[in-house]
Amino acid sequence: MSACRLQQLKGHILPENKVSITAMADSTSPLTTHVLNTAMGVPGSNMALSLHRQDLCTNAWSLINTGTTNDDGRCPGIISKHLFTAGVYKMRFETAQYWESLGEACFYPYVEIVFTIDDPSLKYHVPLLLSNFSYTTYRGS
Amino acid sequence: MSKNTLPYPSPLTTHVLNIGDGVPATRMALSLHRLDSNLLIWNMLSVRTTNEDGRCPGLIGRHMFTPGMYKLRFETGSYWESLGQTSFYPYVEVVFSISDPEERFHVPLLLSRFSYSTYRGS
Repeated sequence: MSACRLQQLKGHILPENKVSITAMADSTSPLTTHVLNTAMGVPGSNMALSLHRQDLCTNAWSLINTGTTNDDGRCPGIISKHLFTAGVYKMRFETAQYWESLGEACFYPYVEIVFTIDDPSLKYHVPLLLSNFSYTTYRGS
Repeated sequence: MSKNTLPYPSPLTTHVLNIGDGVPATRMALSLHRLDSNLLIWNMLSVRTTNEDGRCPGLIGRHMFTPGMYKLRFETGSYWESLGQTSFYPYVEVVFSISDPEERFHVPLLLSRFSYSTYRGS
């Protein structure tokens, strides 16, 4: 059976990591994020986000987990070590929804950051520095 | 009508800068898309390559620039590959909302191998 077919079958059987973020609370998540509201100089708290992985064979995106940033703009336990395989991932941040909850408009309805994980044994930090009309991301540690 | 003969400048412009090397990002492929709000699919409006200054004149004609959700997709992975380098991001997509197409919108990309920024400019 090909590696592609095995992965497809696994995707049907396992619902990925669909548990709530609070249940995970894994401080050793190999992938972390941090949302900062640079317009107001505060963490971007209570922002909805989701993590997706691209299927190696079909290029389709599958949802790994959803979450909401805490008071510090972080989202602990977004993915567990055993699920963190090499591949192309996407972190999607619901930015317009966030600014709307603050009574403000935003140029970006959402922000999706697509990145490649070559070595899943390393730690990756994918922060988002966000204002109403700009954003920045970088590979941190 | 070729982009060089457009009577008016494009209401939407971009500028890609390679801040890792301190140069414009030349010959980067990019594409502009608009979301069809009924079908919820992206329609590709134009495909271009940045010039020597990292810019893309004539990205969209004024008559095409209607209110809606747009996406600029930058083929950053291919760009770094052409320079013999790897990058954290296979591509960059910037999704933005246009409510008043009478205004001018500048959506630049400041890019390095391991970071990028964008902002609404003028």
